[in-house]
Order: sequence, then structure tokens, then C-alpha cells
Amino acid sequence: MTIERALWMPLIFAFLCLIPCPKRMTRLTFMAGAILSAIGAWLFVFETSWSPRVFAFNGNLMMDSLSAVFVLLITSVGVLSAVYAGGYLFKEGDTSISPLRLRRYAFFFHLFLFTMLLTVFSNNLGIMWIAIEGTTLASAFLVNVDDKKSSIEAAWKYLILCSVGIALALFGIILVYYSAIAQAAAGEGGLLLNWTFLLNHAKQLDPQVLRLAFIFILVGYGTKAGLAPFHSWLPDAHSQAPAPVSALLSGVLLSCATLGILRYHILTTAATGSTFSGTLLIFFGVLSVAVATPFILEQKDYKRLLAYSSVEHMGLAAVGLGFGGVLGIYGALLHIVNHAFTKSLLFFSSGHLLHLFQTKEISKVKGIFRRNPFLGTIFFLSALAIAGMPPFSVFVSEFLILSAGFLAGKFIPCALLLILLALVFIGFLRHANQMTFSVPEGPAVTGKSFLMDSVLGVGLVVIFVMGFYIPGPFQKLLLDAGRVAEGAIV
Amino acid sequence: MSPELVASLVHFLGMMLLIASFWILASSQIGASIRAYATHSFLLALITTVIAITNHIEHLLIPALLTLVLKTIVIPHVFFRIIRRLGIRKEVESYINIPFSLLLAVLLVFVSFYATGDGKFLKPVAFSEFIPLAISTVFFGMLMMTTRKKAVNQVLGLLLIENGLFLMAVTMTFGMPLLVEMGIFFDVLVAVMIMGLFVFKIRDAFESIDADDMTVLKG
Repeated sequence: MTIERALWMPLIFAFLCLIPCPKRMTRLTFMAGAILSAIGAWLFVFETSWSPRVFAFNGNLMMDSLSAVFVLLITSVGVLSAVYAGGYLFKEGDTSISPLRLRRYAFFFHLFLFTMLLTVFSNNLGIMWIAIEGTTLASAFLVNVDDKKSSIEAAWKYLILCSVGIALALFGIILVYYSAIAQAAAGEGGLLLNWTFLLNHAKQLDPQVLRLAFIFILVGYGTKAGLAPFHSWLPDAHSQAPAPVSALLSGVLLSCATLGILRYHILTTAATGSTFSGTLLIFFGVLSVAVATPFILEQKDYKRLLAYSSVEHMGLAAVGLGFGGVLGIYGALLHIVNHAFTKSLLFFSSGHLLHLFQTKEISKVKGIFRRNPFLGTIFFLSALAIAGMPPFSVFVSEFLILSAGFLAGKFIPCALLLILLALVFIGFLRHANQMTFSVPEGPAVTGKSFLMDSVLGVGLVVIFVMGFYIPGPFQKLLLDAGRVAEGAIV
Repeated sequence: MSPELVASLVHFLGMMLLIASFWILASSQIGASIRAYATHSFLLALITTVIAITNHIEHLLIPALLTLVLKTIVIPHVFFRIIRRLGIRKEVESYINIPFSLLLAVLLVFVSFYATGDGKFLKPVAFSEFIPLAISTVFFGMLMMTTRKKAVNQVLGLLLIENGLFLMAVTMTFGMPLLVEMGIFFDVLVAVMIMGLFVFKIRDAFESIDADDMTVLKG
């Protein structure tokens, strides 16, 4: 496998899904596509994970251990989401969505995976920008699958806000390129936007220009990553998208944008030798948690509840990156991974809930546990997990991030975070308790789709096991990635 | 060409560009603002060509040509098709009236000249007078996106921001690497197509294309 082949696979499957054929065939291509691309990407990652950097396409594409973590994340959540969608949208005998729409959905789904993979594989910062803008364009249609008023509104807000945000990030990239050109020897024109090249020559870049650039990048990619106060598109898009798409948006799209910020954070720290970018990350991270908390406490719509919780967790990850040190970065990366799995599990169960109760309102969802014990168990446990309850994995990474903060002597942000996290915990417990254990209003039912139920089961096992034990190779990858983020070439 | 001639040509083009940006904001009809946008892009292509020729940067001619073809011809054409199919005749609806938005625009021009005036912080590779112009174009685009009601105008504002950034890249760095520049053009084109499709969906669902009718989602 090479980087190019890992990228070609989702692109080829995207077009295969467009072939007009019976619904069952489209569904098979769709699911098989996600699984095969994932296997391909995994083989590639584990073939090459012992060499520090693999380049392709004249150095414009690159995989280091940092991108390897994100490749694994994108493809595994992609597989879960595709299998879930196989049962959710491609239901047997369901004619509410036309076959043409389903084919288009499958096409954009794979295209979305492709653009996200391109984002994490890009070494050229310009190509990364193009890929991130591509994720917006590919997923706008996924947010609006049913052409309802509210979905169209959400998709439009998403398109416009993220495009403006991304335009600001382009300004940041122009500034970075400018600072590189001002120092460059002739004849290196093509390399100048490459992250590895910039990092090697970081000391020669103008620190003042890079600081300005980082601010623009943080605002631009921060919009996409859902950092407050640029998060206003996020609850709308996450609540209106169908469950498997919400899972992808929340689990991996936000993480990809965070990787974009992290690359510039590493570069800026190396160039300025100061904690300028780290301090900004801590500030916006704590702000995101603070902004999300009241919305979590007083939320009436369970999908929006999950969306605001994504704002909170992306804020936490940003704080972890800002604290720095191997512990902080390792904790933040682990947090991104744990959040991705836990949150997508919750969004998958929200798909079940919507199917069972036909409403997104928290107050109308009563007695999940009595009506469907399997779903009730999964939903309640994963809600506890996302709120930060031990022994689940999110607790471990939150603990690591906070310890990194205390080690770095950042007591005020840590204290604020502890108070806010306690409030979020109360909010989640209250909502989950009321939804799961109140008196039911309907008869008990059993799960309809084996595929959808099995995704929930697998998800729960993953977040439970990750709380105790991280598989050896993956652990090494995360540690390496932490060291890359520290500025060392691993 | 003598340096004096080039300098006065560049001054002239810069002035025309600023006038075109004001024209976009001042037009009370959508059709006129699209024509103004096409003119703006045409001037942008000319400026890029002048910079490319005077500095002997041949690869910059390709973005100039693409600007000419895509932003002056193709995108305005797409816009005209959209408004014809939507059946919009005229008025640009705005939260603040047009004279006041022009006043704000003048203020923004002053701000951008003031903020970049000393030329110490950012030393451009080409003509320094374009930096404040580029920044004020970005500001104009943002002003347009925040004050105009119609979804079509918001897309136009986004394109104006993109034009400003393109000018910024050309003046400060002789344009981004060609591969990246092509990718950006591709993204812009696809974005216009997709947003155009969504404008129709908005019209069908809300029976108008006023973005402030979209108030379903809150909290």
C-alpha cells in the first residue's frame, strides 16, 4: 500500500456507489467500500508505522505517526458509521428515501471520507486547506438528506459559516507562505508550503508574521473544529443530519480540523519559541467548555445535547494541546480518539431513539430501558462515559489532560475546567436518567436491525476496553505522535 | 514598458478595483452587483497579468487566465442563470440601507489603509498599494455577507472575500504554488455550484430566498 492507494480507494468506491443498480447492490458496495478502504489504510499504517515519515506525490503528501493516529480514527469510525447507515438508511422495504437519493448519499459519504483522509495526509498546507474546504462541500449534502426546512437551514448555515471561517484560514496560510518566501533561497518554490520544510526552517521564519497567521488559522479551522465562539453552525448541523452522519461529523470531522490547528501550533511554537499559541488554545478551549455547559444543562433536544457536548470535548482537547508536554499532547490525542468513539456511539443510539420515539425532544423520551433494555443499557452507559465516569475511556484522557495542566502549573484553567466538568456531569446524568428510567408510555420492543444493534455493541466494547487497555502498537503510535507534536522528528 | 508607465497603470487599475468593489455594494439590483463582480474579477485578472509580466513570473499567468475565464465569465453566467430561474427581478434587500453601507465601506477602506499603512510589518513582493485594497475587499465581502438578506448576495459576498484573498496572495507572494492555486479555483467553483443548488432548495422549502426567514433552529 502507498498513500496514493489509500486515498484512491474511497474515491473509487464513491463513484462505484453511483452506478444505477438495485438498492441491495448499492448497499453492499457502500458498506464493502468503507470496510475495504479501512483495511487498506490499516495495512498501510502498520506496514510503515516503524518509519517516521513516509512521503508521496513529490512530498505534498506525508504520513507521520500523528497522521497515522487520525487515519486509524477516520477509517474505523467510517466503518462503524457505514455499517450503521446500512441498517438505518438502507432499510429493507423502506421507500421514504428514493434509490437515487441513496446512491447520492453513498457517493457523498465516501467522498467525505476521502476528503478527510486527504486532510490528514497532506504535508502541503495549501492542499490541507483545499481538503478541509472539500470536507464542507462533501458533507453539506449529507447534512441535508431529507430536504426538510430545518435540514436545509442547517446545511446552509454550515456551508456559509464554515466557508467564511476557512477563508480566514486561507489568509493565515498566505501569511505563512509569505514568511517562508521572505527567507527562502531561490529554486525551492514548490516546497515552501510543506509542513516538514517549514518545521525544519522554523527558526528562520518571521515570528511576528507567524503569530498573526496562527490567530487567523485558529479562527478559521476553529470554526470547523467547533471551538466557541465560532461553533454556532455545529448544533444545527449535528442535530439535523441523519445519525450515522452526525457520528462522522462529530467524531472525526471536528478531529481533522483540530489536527489542522495542531500542525500550525507545532510550527508556531517552533518558530517563536514561546507559549503564544498554547495560551491561545487554552483560552479558547476553556471558553468552549464554558459556553457549552449551560446549553448542556438546559437542553431540550437530545441531539443538540450531544452536539454541545462535542463543543465541550473539542475545547478539552484544545486545552490539552495548549498545556503541551508529552503528557498533555498524549492526553489530548487520546481524548480525541476516545471522544470520537464514545460520541459516535451516542449518535448511533440517537438514531435508534429517533426511530423508537419519533421525536428529538428529551421530555418526550421516557423509559428507554423498559421499552428496549439493550438500547437503554447502551445509551445510559455511553452517556455516563461521555460525562467522564470511570472506568470508561473518556475519564482516563480527561484525567491525563488535567494532570498535564497541574504539572505545567496552570492552576486557574484547571480549576475552571474541574468546576465546569462537574456541572456537565450533573447535566448529562440528569438527562440520561430521566430518558432511561422514567415510566414508559409504550410497549416494549426489540431491535429491528441486527447490523445497527451490533454496531452499538461493538462501540460499547471499544470504549469500555480503551478505559483499561490500549493495544501495544496503538499505544506506541500515540506516544510517537505526542513526540512529533512536541517538535521532535520521530 | 517604462517603470513610470507601469506605476501609473497599476495606480489606475487599483483605483478601478476599488470603484468596482464600491459598485458591488452600491447596486440596488442583484443583476448589477453580479456585473460589478465580473468587472472586479476582470480587473483582478488584469492586475495579476501586469504583475506577472513586469516581474517575469510566468506561472502567475495561469491563475490570471483562470480568473478571467472562471470568475469573469463562468461564475457570473451561473449567477445569471440562477436568478433567471428563480425569477428575481431586482431589489437587493439589506438590514441597513445602501447609503449607510457605503458609508461603512468608506470607513473600512480607511481602516485597511491605516492598519497596513506603515509597510513595516508586511513587506510585499509586488506593489504595496494593493495590500490595503485586498484587505478592504475582504472587509467589503464580510459587510455584504452580514448585512444582505438574500442567500444569493451572501454567496456573492463570499466570492468577494475570495477575490480579496487572491489579490493578497498575488501581491505578497506572487501567488500561491500553482498546484494549490488550482485547487482553490476548483473549490471555489464547486462551492458556487453547491450553494447555487441550495439556493433552489431554500426557495422551494421557504418560498423565499431571504436568509433571515431561516429561524427554525435555536438554542
